[in-house]
Amino acid sequence: MAFTRKILGHGIGLRTKHFAQHLAARPPVDWVEVVSENFMAPGGRPVAVLEKVRRDVPVVLHGVSLSIGSTDPLSESYLGQLAELAGRIEPAWISDHLCWGSHGGRYAHDLWPLPYTEEAIRHVVARVEHVQEVLGRQILLENVSSYVAFRASEMEEWEFLAEVADRADCGILLDVNNVYVSARNHGFDPHAYLAAVPAARVGQIHLAGHSDKGRYLLDTHDHEVPAPVWDLYRETVLRLGPVSTLIEWDDNVPPLERLVEESRRATAIEAEALAPPFRRAVP
Amino acid sequence: MTLEETQAAFHALATRAADLPAAAESFLVGSPAFPAAERIGIYADMYLWRLTDALREDYPKTAALLGDERLLALAKAYAREHPSDQPDLGHFGRHLPAFLRRLPAPERADLADLADLEWARSEVFFEKPATSIARDALAALGPDAFLDARLELIPALRILVLDHDAATVWRHLEDGDPLESAVVCPTAVAVWRAGFEVFHARIDPDEARAIEIARAGEPLRHVCSTFHDREDPAGAASAVLASWVDEGWIADASSAG
Repeated sequence: MAFTRKILGHGIGLRTKHFAQHLAARPPVDWVEVVSENFMAPGGRPVAVLEKVRRDVPVVLHGVSLSIGSTDPLSESYLGQLAELAGRIEPAWISDHLCWGSHGGRYAHDLWPLPYTEEAIRHVVARVEHVQEVLGRQILLENVSSYVAFRASEMEEWEFLAEVADRADCGILLDVNNVYVSARNHGFDPHAYLAAVPAARVGQIHLAGHSDKGRYLLDTHDHEVPAPVWDLYRETVLRLGPVSTLIEWDDNVPPLERLVEESRRATAIEAEALAPPFRRAVP
Repeated sequence: MTLEETQAAFHALATRAADLPAAAESFLVGSPAFPAAERIGIYADMYLWRLTDALREDYPKTAALLGDERLLALAKAYAREHPSDQPDLGHFGRHLPAFLRRLPAPERADLADLADLEWARSEVFFEKPATSIARDALAALGPDAFLDARLELIPALRILVLDHDAATVWRHLEDGDPLESAVVCPTAVAVWRAGFEVFHARIDPDEARAIEIARAGEPLRHVCSTFHDREDPAGAASAVLASWVDEGWIADASSAG
């Protein structure tokens, strides 16, 4: 079982506010990520914009509704739509979240955490295998931010993530901001988390901003990447080497130029972190 | 607790189907400074805000008319009756017009009709694209085959028959003009997409009927017969058909057999 990391460089999310600019010219980024569900409709402007953008740069499909950890049956209809979209767009890869968000046929449209148990691992692994069979490719699963933990958990989150990825033979989308947010909310060491993530499974990194609510951090994606997250990103790159990295900015979306600037900062930090050490010439 | 039991309990708390702080502490981890019941409250708030935002996105004018506080309360009541049952959040609001019709005392009598109009606009925005025929394609049918020909209308076209003039209410809200009191005024409205733009316009009741007859696959003779009450039925039918072509509503016109 193996996972091969594709290096696309540094990308941004495709947001409605920037559609006109994307239509007018090739976006000045290496690649673009889109929320899969926003492009499953048969027509309309979003689909047309995506098809144009896809001609310009690689596109990655990032879903929010797979609900891979739910005890509800997987939605075959949703999977069919995702497969159809993937067939049309030919994304570099497809990702979703290691979470659940539906119960009893009712969708919360949220990314709820799982208890870190052997039962949950077995449940998720079987479902990931089915999804990968339907899509005919490996998927990447993202660690989510969380605000509450379960008494039933038998292991740390990073152990759970690594075990699922290994047994399901899938990739990991490592959200560094989510690691930071959850570390603050639960009191664990984010460095321990990063050190334990299986490097060979990480195919993508997410960077984003959050909001400090006093007693907890809320994963809001509504402003720039804060300094502590940049620091963790630098540390992650040092551990993992180059990884395709995306800036997530979903609310209070800034002008495209500002988003691109944030992506370029990630490029610079990666380049700086991975630059060969300066050596004096040996006489 | 099994995974299924854990998820059932979490779901009940996070959607506020149950409000039992003690239940949260029994399976969730908290601390004296930040108890589990308050932590699950973060998810419960986000659940409601996300669904409220979804309604605001599909019903921007209705939402503006209601105001934030009333919209939040309405979303809460609506979500209890119509929880989202699709992976795509865009389907969540589809029952709102019917829900508003059942409200005992809506803010305005025309609120549900305004919502109907907004939902139709949202639907056509995401409909399949289709090419439209030009006037010469209708002319090419020839006089002999014309009345037996059938039309195929574009998918991105909806016809609404409403009790109130929701199109005028929509226009006032769009322009920021004050609204007049709602009065009963049966109105037919066509909603369609051309390119990436969504349009709507009031149409005559007989034209609305003609469109539905055409959509049902009936021949043009039946479509045209809906204008028999007009002063010049043939001229009226001809003008209406020409306007359908010009608006891009006709995807195909084919002669029978």
